[in-house]
Order: sequence, then structure tokens, then C-alpha cells
Amino acid sequence: MAELDDIIHQPLRLKIMAALNSLPGAAGLEFSRLKKLTGATDGNLGAHIETLAKAGYVSVDKAFVGKKPQTTVTATAAGRGAFARHVATLQEIIAGRQV
Amino acid sequence: MIDSKQAAEALADIDDMVHRVRQSRVYDLASQMMILWGGLVFAANFATWLWPHQGYYFWIAVYILGIAGSFAISGSNRSSSGVRSFDARMLIAFLMFIAFGFFCSLVLGHFTPRQQGAFWTIYFMLFYALAGLWFGRAFIVIAAAITVLTLVGYFFVTGDTFLPWMAVVNGGGLIVGGLWMRRS
Repeated sequence: MAELDDIIHQPLRLKIMAALNSLPGAAGLEFSRLKKLTGATDGNLGAHIETLAKAGYVSVDKAFVGKKPQTTVTATAAGRGAFARHVATLQEIIAGRQV
Repeated sequence: MIDSKQAAEALADIDDMVHRVRQSRVYDLASQMMILWGGLVFAANFATWLWPHQGYYFWIAVYILGIAGSFAISGSNRSSSGVRSFDARMLIAFLMFIAFGFFCSLVLGHFTPRQQGAFWTIYFMLFYALAGLWFGRAFIVIAAAITVLTLVGYFFVTGDTFLPWMAVVNGGGLIVGGLWMRRS
């Protein structure tokens, strides 16, 4: 029986993973864009990204564009796999195969 | 473990986020294109106002530069997102769109320069409004605002000042709309 992924299941982390997983290939999202999409605060978003990064579900790249620092968050292959399994489990619960 | 209602809510959150990301990427790309075309249209209207006999050359240059710029923006977008947005099929659609506009304004209609200025702007804004039905209401808001201001100019701005009016309304409107869309 598949189980929900506790790391992904938290509402904000679910949104972050959903956003990153919807991107093609190795594309990522800038921190500011992710903040706008999720409606989270800087601190809250940063903390949850760190949790996902520690689990190996996202990678965080920091670079300078001109003089401005830019943080890009990208879903890893492990993160995409975990997210797909999590979604499959949610669908199983809805279908009544798990209670 | 969660129940089926909570699971359905989680899936709805995922769908909502996928929709937001998709719209955000469309807006980001569209904003770059709008700013490009807005700048070109702004310059061409002013140039036509200053040198009216060379007007056709300016507008041919606008289309060539606009199409080349759209390809460049699309290529740049592809390198970061992996998706090509302005491809050969889009180019053909764009050329058909322009050809139909020329057919209406020069073959069927014999429009005056003033009528041409209003027609092409409203015609392009129709395209934006239609795009808005699929890609987000910002397109519709921008199209409606520019169309209304174009009609105000057509009916109430007299003489040569119509071209500077159109530079601000059409060119400036696209630039402001593009910047607004980027922030949306």
C-alpha cells in the first residue's frame, strides 16, 4: 500500500512541488516568482524550500544576474518521482482503495 | 492518513498551482513580446508623423524587426524553459493574419491612412482579446483599453495629431500593458 509523502504533503511544500513539477525538463523557478505563485512570505518559503532541498527533492542555485542575486529552485529527478507517487496515492485515496 | 475529501482538496491545490505556473509563463513571454512590439509601434507612428511619405517603409521595418525579435525572444525563452513559443507554424499564422488585414484595408476597403491606423490597431487588439479567452484576462483588459482609446482618437483627435496619439495609445499602451502583465 502506497503512503503519502510527509515531506511533500505539507500544504506549502505541495504547492512548491506542484509548481516545479509542472515545468519541463530541467527548468526552474526564481524565488521571487515562486513567492508570488504560492503567496508565501520570504521566511516561510525559504524554510520550506530548505526542507525540500534536505530531502533531495529540489536543488537551489544562487547566482548573480548583473548585480542582483537570483535564487533558482528546480525539482530534482528524485523530487519529481516522489511527487508523482504522492499524486498517485492521493488518487488512490479518492478512488477508495485506501482509507 | 487523510480522507478522500482532503485528498481531493490537495489535488485541486495541485491543479490550481499548475494553472498559475502556466499562466505566469504565458504572461512572462507575452509581456516581453508586447514591450518589443510596443516600442516598434511607438517609433513607427512617430516616424510616420515626421516623414509621412516614408510611412510604408517604416511599417515594413516594424514587421521585419518584430518577427525577428519575436523569434529571438522565443529562442531565449526556449533556452531557459525548454519550450519554443514562436515557431514556423506561429509565423505562418501571423503572416496569414497580416495578409488578411492587407486584403481588407487595401483591396476591399481602400482605407485612408487614418483609417489604416485605427484598423490595424483594432485588428491586432482583436487577436489579443481572442488570446485572452485561453490565456488570461490581462490580454482582454489590455485589448479593450487600447481599442477604446484608439476609437477615441479616431473620432475626436483631429488632423496630424492622430499619429502621435496612436504612438502613445498603441505603442505606449503595449509597453505599459507588457509591464503590467509582467507584474501580474
